[in-house]
Amino acid sequence: MAIRKQDFTKINDYLWEIPKSFRDDMRVPVRVYADDELLEDALGDKSIEQAVNVASLPGLVERVLVMPDVHQGYGMPIGGVAASELPSGIISPGAIGYDINCGVRLLASHVSHDEVRDQIGDLATALYRNCPSGVGSEGHIRLSHDEFTDMLRQGSKWALKQGYARREDLDHTEEFGTMPGADPGKVSERAVKRGRPQVGTLGAGNHFIEVDRVTSIFDEEAARVLGLFEDQIVVQIHCGSRGFGHQVCTDYVSDFQSAVRKYGIQLPDRELVCAPLDSPEGKDYLGAMACAANYAFANRQVLAHLVRRSFEEVLAGKVRDFDLHQIYDIAHNMGKIEEHVVGGKSIKVCVHRKGATRAFGPGSDVLPPDLKPIGQPVLIPGSMGTASWVLLGTAGSMEQSFGSTCHGAGRVMSRSRAKKEIRGEKLRDELQGRGIRVRAGSMPGLAEEAPQAYKDVDRVIEVVSKAGIARKVARLEPVAVIKG
Amino acid sequence: MHVSTPDHHVQEIEHTADWAIRVRARDLIGLFTGAAEGMFGLLTDLSQVTPVRQFEIELRAIDVETLLIDWLNELLYLSEEQGVVFTGFAIHDLTVNGGARLRAQVDGGHPSELFKVIKAATFHGLSIRRAEDGLQAELVFDV
Repeated sequence: MAIRKQDFTKINDYLWEIPKSFRDDMRVPVRVYADDELLEDALGDKSIEQAVNVASLPGLVERVLVMPDVHQGYGMPIGGVAASELPSGIISPGAIGYDINCGVRLLASHVSHDEVRDQIGDLATALYRNCPSGVGSEGHIRLSHDEFTDMLRQGSKWALKQGYARREDLDHTEEFGTMPGADPGKVSERAVKRGRPQVGTLGAGNHFIEVDRVTSIFDEEAARVLGLFEDQIVVQIHCGSRGFGHQVCTDYVSDFQSAVRKYGIQLPDRELVCAPLDSPEGKDYLGAMACAANYAFANRQVLAHLVRRSFEEVLAGKVRDFDLHQIYDIAHNMGKIEEHVVGGKSIKVCVHRKGATRAFGPGSDVLPPDLKPIGQPVLIPGSMGTASWVLLGTAGSMEQSFGSTCHGAGRVMSRSRAKKEIRGEKLRDELQGRGIRVRAGSMPGLAEEAPQAYKDVDRVIEVVSKAGIARKVARLEPVAVIKG
Repeated sequence: MHVSTPDHHVQEIEHTADWAIRVRARDLIGLFTGAAEGMFGLLTDLSQVTPVRQFEIELRAIDVETLLIDWLNELLYLSEEQGVVFTGFAIHDLTVNGGARLRAQVDGGHPSELFKVIKAATFHGLSIRRAEDGLQAELVFDV
C-alpha cells in the first residue's frame, strides 16, 4: 500500500506519526522527524514503507523512529531506530546492517586553515598514500590468528596496547572503544579470513577521510570543552568493519532464516529476520556483532594513527604543533543494550540504530568526566563537498528517541541515476575549482557520491535541532577529500 | 545495465542507496545464472575479463530463495578471496524438494577495474515469482 502524507498525524512542525492502526501487522507506531520538504523526500522512495515493516517486529517498545536523513535501504531504512525489550524482544542483524559499527571519528588539530593553506594538497596526498583505500584494499598490519582474536575481543584497547592509540582516544570513543560481550567463537572462519588482511583500511563506497575547516561555532562553551575553534583544521574518518562485518551479517541473516521458522515469527520482509535476544541464536549474533563492532573501533583507531603520521610527515617543522586530538568516535550501524525510560519505567532494551547515531544527553554515566556536563558529541558527515556538523546529545533525545539522532545527509538520487547523470572526472574538477583537493581511486564511485545525490545536510540538522534530539556545536566545510 | 541472453534477461532498477536488478528467466537455472551475471556486471565490464580459474560450488539451503542469496554471497566471498570476478556459470544440479540444493562450476578471471564493492546480496523484498515465459526475481545488493 502506497503511503501518503495524509496517512500521517502531524505532532509538530518537525515530527509526524503513522499510527499503529495504519496496517494490521504493526505492533508500534512509526514517528518521522522531518519538515514538510524532507517528509516529501522520504515519501519519494520506500523508506517509510520499510519503517512500517520494522514496526511489525515482535517485542518492540514505544515506536519505530525515522530520522530526517532517512532513505530506502534493505529491511530497515537507513535512518531507522527501533528498540526491543529484554529479555525476549528480538535482535535483527538486517536491522543493523552489513557494515556493523560503520561510524565516524573526528580528530582536531591545533592549527588554523590559514596557517596550513599551502600544505593542504600535500596533506591530501600523504593521507591517500598512507591510509590504504579502494576496492579490496589490504592494510600494513599482519596479525596471527590469536592476535586477531585478541583484537576482536578488545577493539580499541588492543590498538592501545599495540601503540596505535592514546588513552584519551579511548575515553572519547563510544563504548570506550570496546564493545562488551564479544565472542570470537561465534564468528565464522570466513569472516576471520576476510577481516585479517583489512585492519587499518578505509575501503571504498561512501567511506572517506576528509580534512575540514571549522567555519562556524554555535555553542562557544561546548566548543571550548571539545577543543574546537573557528578556522581550525579537523579530520573526519568514516568507515566500518570492512569484509569482516559484512561476512558476520551475511552469515547470521542466512542462519536466521531458519530461526524465524523455529520461533514462529511472521515477517513482511525476509531481510528483517530476527531471533529473541535470550535465544541461543540471538546470543550468538550479539557475541559476533560485538566482535565486528570491536573490529571497526580498532580499524578507525589504526587509521587515526596513520592520519596523525601523515600530519607529522607534512607539517613537522612548518607549524608549531601538528598533533591531532580526538573529539569523539561514534557508531551509526549498531545494536546496543541500553537502559531507557519506557512508560515511566527504566527498562533494558536493545536499540537497533541503522544509519542513526547514539546521542546521549548531559549527565549520562557512559560519558567520560569532561563530556558528562555537555553531553555526547555526535558527528554528522555531510555529502562529499558539503558541510559536516558536530552536535551534542540532549535530554530531548533521551526522552524522545532512545538517545538517538540522525547520521548524515541522506540520499535522494539513486546510484544508477547518479552514474548516468554525473561524470566523476567533472565532479572532481568542480570540487577542485572550489578549493577542495580530491584524491580518489574510482571515478564512477566518486560520481555516485556526488552532492547532488544527497539531501541538504543543513536542513537535516535544522530538523534534529528544532525537534530537540541534538544541539548544534560546530559546522565544518571540506578542504580535502580522500576516497577509495 | 542490461544483460540479455536466450535464457535470461537482467535489468538494473532504481534504488536510492544500494544497487538493484530485476532478473527474468525461463527456469531456475537461468534465474540463478542471470542473477550472478547481473551482479558481477555491476562491478566490472565482464566482456573484458578472460576466465583463468574454475571453482566448484555446492550449497544446501532451507528453501529456494535462501539458496539464491547463499549462491550470490558464496560468489561474492570467493570473488574477494581469490581476487577474481565470475563470468561463466555452469549449474549442473538445482533441486528444490523440501529444501533446495545446488552444484555448479564457475569460471573466474581478473578484472582490470572494479567499480565498487558489493557487501552482500540481501533478502530484501525477495520472492521468486512466476512471470510471463518463466520466472522473475528482484535483488537488492548492499554497496
